[in-house]
Amino acid sequence: MDFQGIHDHLKAVGAPGLLEADLPREKDPEDKKDPGRAGQPFLIIDAEHIVDFLAVCREDERLAFEILADQSATDPAIDDENLWVTYELLSVRHKHRLSLKVLIPKADAKIDSAVPVYRAAQWAEREAGEMYGITFVGHPDPRNILLPDDWEGFPLRKDYEFPKEYHGISCE
Amino acid sequence: MGILEKQFEENVLTTKVDWLINWARLSSIWPMTFGLACCAIEMMAVGASHHDIDRFGAGAFRATPRQADLMIVAGTVNFKMAERIKRLYDQMPSPKYVMAMGACATGGGPYYKFGYTVVKGVDRVVPVDVYVAGCPPRPEALLEGLMLLQEKIRNSSVVRKPARMA
Repeated sequence: MDFQGIHDHLKAVGAPGLLEADLPREKDPEDKKDPGRAGQPFLIIDAEHIVDFLAVCREDERLAFEILADQSATDPAIDDENLWVTYELLSVRHKHRLSLKVLIPKADAKIDSAVPVYRAAQWAEREAGEMYGITFVGHPDPRNILLPDDWEGFPLRKDYEFPKEYHGISCE
Repeated sequence: MGILEKQFEENVLTTKVDWLINWARLSSIWPMTFGLACCAIEMMAVGASHHDIDRFGAGAFRATPRQADLMIVAGTVNFKMAERIKRLYDQMPSPKYVMAMGACATGGGPYYKFGYTVVKGVDRVVPVDVYVAGCPPRPEALLEGLMLLQEKIRNSSVVRKPARMA
């Protein structure tokens, strides 16, 4: 199925938490400040229902997204009050893909872990957690995966301040 | 010179011991297997038949610091690794030498500004004898670094220099 077909099917089965589809578009020739949007189409999902939504994507016969190809996060801008948590789903059986995006507030960066549905989310959530300071509620092993255990701050946040020294090694 | 003082004529013997020991040391610099990033690929090329680091007696890459004389830091050093590098360096028996291979190990390289976990030069952790420039250095550059290190060893001395007159 193409993106529109997946979107319509999810609407038809009443998948929980489906808010809207975000499609790429051309620049507006009238408005010079309009950057347009490049990239692939994705669905915006409500943070409350993400695990139920993923379960539908996985279990539905016509969607059958067996694989969580990638899960990550994005800090879009320093003055943006939301973080994005993104999911890339892949169906080998039907040869189609789907991108999901969930907006969570920076002030309370918390989202349910996708591990009950996709075990592949374990390492991806550990990385997104340490890099963006997101708490994945219900994650079985929420340690740092790349950074040292005693690292302070979240490096991929736009407002991150670089360390001055680490364990006596100067960073200046 | 302690007990050797005034035992021999004209210091002829100590000079020969220097030469002999330096010759032995510089002809068998055993490096430690130590690849951290893409520089390690060039280091492997140096070890392979085309460039053949064994011509310099430095082809015996040891898997333990206790048998190694030279640590070739081949790649990007981050903070998590820096503490391990220090520990491995401390485990090497003296005399021991460190070669910083490539831009990252020399001074942070392309990660100097925005690499929040990258150590800006491995000389902040362990003393470095030879810096090899390049990103990554050609195998010839690494061989030249090895020859520079051999030159350094050749000019070293096992006996202490006499104290300068005050």
